[in-house]
Amino acid sequence: MSNISREVKIWNLPVRLFHWVLVGCFITAWLTRDDRYLDIHVFAGYLMGGLILFRLLWGVIGGPYARFCDFAFGWREAWDYTKMVLKRCAPRFIGHNPAGSWGIYILLGLGVLVVITGLLAFGGEEGHGPLAGLLNYAQGAIAHDLHELLAWVMLGAVAVHLLGVLVESVLHRENLIASMITGYKSVPPGTVSAAGGRPVGVLMLATIIAAGFSWFYGYLVETPEQPYRPFVGQQLPDNALWREECGACHLAFHPSLLPARSWTVMMESQSSHFGEDLFLEQDAIDEITAFLAGNAAEQALTEAAWKIDQSIPKTATPLRITETQYWIDKHREISVQVWRSPKVNGKVNCASCHLDADDGTFEDAAMRIPVEADSSSAAVFKIFQKAVRYFSFNSSPPNRLEDKG
Amino acid sequence: MKRKLIVVTALMFAMPLYAQADAVSELQADYQAKGAGPFSAAAGEALWNKPFKNAKSGKERNCTTCHTADLTQSGKHVRTGKVIEPMAPSVNPKRLTEVKKIKKWFVRNCKWTLGRECTAQEKGDLLAFLKNL
Repeated sequence: MSNISREVKIWNLPVRLFHWVLVGCFITAWLTRDDRYLDIHVFAGYLMGGLILFRLLWGVIGGPYARFCDFAFGWREAWDYTKMVLKRCAPRFIGHNPAGSWGIYILLGLGVLVVITGLLAFGGEEGHGPLAGLLNYAQGAIAHDLHELLAWVMLGAVAVHLLGVLVESVLHRENLIASMITGYKSVPPGTVSAAGGRPVGVLMLATIIAAGFSWFYGYLVETPEQPYRPFVGQQLPDNALWREECGACHLAFHPSLLPARSWTVMMESQSSHFGEDLFLEQDAIDEITAFLAGNAAEQALTEAAWKIDQSIPKTATPLRITETQYWIDKHREISVQVWRSPKVNGKVNCASCHLDADDGTFEDAAMRIPVEADSSSAAVFKIFQKAVRYFSFNSSPPNRLEDKG
Repeated sequence: MKRKLIVVTALMFAMPLYAQADAVSELQADYQAKGAGPFSAAAGEALWNKPFKNAKSGKERNCTTCHTADLTQSGKHVRTGKVIEPMAPSVNPKRLTEVKKIKKWFVRNCKWTLGRECTAQEKGDLLAFLKNL
């Protein structure tokens, strides 16, 4: 290593932005793997996909150190280099070393696979995204499993990548993490610089911010009366009589939430309906039963319907949605305090947390527990939200849905 | 032509009132035919507020358990929390306009609250109480 060294730009802005925003996407996606945050998770996934596409392009048209041809090492070279690292006699590379290059190829490849399986699961299970309708629920569930498996493999690859960075940093007495932040490395004179790329980086950053703003805009303009729903499911079959009769005393639970056999028994025993005599006339009973049975869980109108039906033994006839295994599993983490709070008022009020309970769609990200304590970040967000609403809707207030009360 | 329109419009606005008077008087006549009557709003109000001990739960129930004491306000289903629109026809003109609905709710709610169906006299009294709110 030369003692006479200069600080030279090695990682230009597009490369660094790609790296750190990708890190951010990866962490965000892990933290938001719970269904409740699906919209954030999906955004992280789209962004990850976009970044990888950009990196593939930049690997062709980008400057030195960023082009694939600049680190097109074979597997053999990567292996030999790794062995040299273990013997502590590996030479220093200004750009990617042969082992690190393979780390990048593997991470990029896994990233692509994670994004594709994510899109397949999103389309199959949720019916959203560009691949909506390509797979059915069962196939979507397989894609989901694959997505999770690949994410774990990718996490392993990230761990190896980090280990490599640390080992290399120690071995060559240089801070590789700082280089990826500042872009500069101490290099011998005559080393090619990768300066430039700033306009591309600025354009990237602007695109990312604009994308984030448009994706999450709904949160900024939502009101307590009309909370933002990131995903709106397809319109489900409806029936005025069902809504009137069942909805008079409780939420009109959508037929898709129980199998047909449950609805049949429930309507046959309407004179002792959870302790009440409904006193429905026969033609009303017939019409409501037909509607319930015709759109029951077996029809798999929604992901919840399909999963509820899958979770019930064929011999069982649950009369409460809360008795189905899928419901139990999905609500396991809800604490007693939440159920008891007056805003939730027990397990009968789906709509106290599920924003789309009335529609029966039960989308993943349409769930808000109303009793969570206000954190300081939530308070800051609320101020930000107020400011945005003030500036964007000062002249035209958002349309509000009529309260169905 | 214009006068006709005014009359029709006026009739349309007055319709709920007629419907209410019709439904209530039809039912009261029906109860009278069964030997009940005369009907008293005071008796209806007393029944509305009278607590009944439920045989199963041991808790006391009355009409206000769900409808609340102020009938011009929305009530709340005691078990499900579902909002119940105000009972008073003065704020909620749809109330007491359909014979079928009145019959249905009398069966459901008398059974839940009193533990039995209401008698013709009781139903007539309740209607006499509710219709003038």
